[in-house]
Amino acid sequence: MFAIATIAGGCALASALGSAHVLRRAALRTSHQQPTPEVWFESPSPSSPTLVEEGRTLFLNNCAHCHGIDATGDEGPDLHGLEVSDRYIANQVTRGIKGEMPSFAKKLHREEITRLTAYLHSLE
Amino acid sequence: MTPAIWAKAHGATTHFPIALVLASAVFDAAGGVLAGRSVARELHAAGFWTMMVGAAGSIAAVGSGLLMTKGAILGHDALRMHHLFVWPAFGLLISVATWRTLAGRRMTRPMLGGYLLAVAVLAALITAAGYYGGELMMAR
Repeated sequence: MFAIATIAGGCALASALGSAHVLRRAALRTSHQQPTPEVWFESPSPSSPTLVEEGRTLFLNNCAHCHGIDATGDEGPDLHGLEVSDRYIANQVTRGIKGEMPSFAKKLHREEITRLTAYLHSLE
Repeated sequence: MTPAIWAKAHGATTHFPIALVLASAVFDAAGGVLAGRSVARELHAAGFWTMMVGAAGSIAAVGSGLLMTKGAILGHDALRMHHLFVWPAFGLLISVATWRTLAGRRMTRPMLGGYLLAVAVLAALITAAGYYGGELMMAR
């Protein structure tokens, strides 16, 4: 009885995860945006006052033109209180958003994006 | 259909399994405490049916959630925390409901103890998943 119940639970879970995989592939075919890879354990984002300050400088030089000098939004959206991961921000910055935001892949290095992310996460 | 439809469908379906599974845990625990009395049988019957309907409802809740997130298994931040509790809860819920269906009225005292332990873990997982689901709504 216990074995059957365990198998039933496993099958249900496998079906759900399989359906997720199919949906994800279908969504990929119709979207220009690549999904951020998922990992079971995410490392905490690095942050320090120096990192945030450097990130702010990068923001003013690259992003303030559209997102406003205080990141409250102008042509681009308000960036306060972002509920997204570092990886998501890095992907948006490097890949851009078709028709909405340019790619900064050639302009910003990985370390600079880390600083920029630290600044964005400091905005509340 | 637009993603907004699935978000509404998820909101509409997700609260039934949460409420029913928690109610089932309470009914069966009360039935266990009041074992030997005539009301115990009725409490276990209520526990059985709330668990069955809750498990059936969880399929709709999980399905609408997957359609809403376009197949995100984990996601990030609050969604990730929600999913880290949802997936074990879903697997355990279907297992527990199957076990209960197979056991029927032939549940012995030790079996009921094991079952209640599994339901307690399930209730904790569902509560945590519901908490992070609420956090997601607050973040919007």
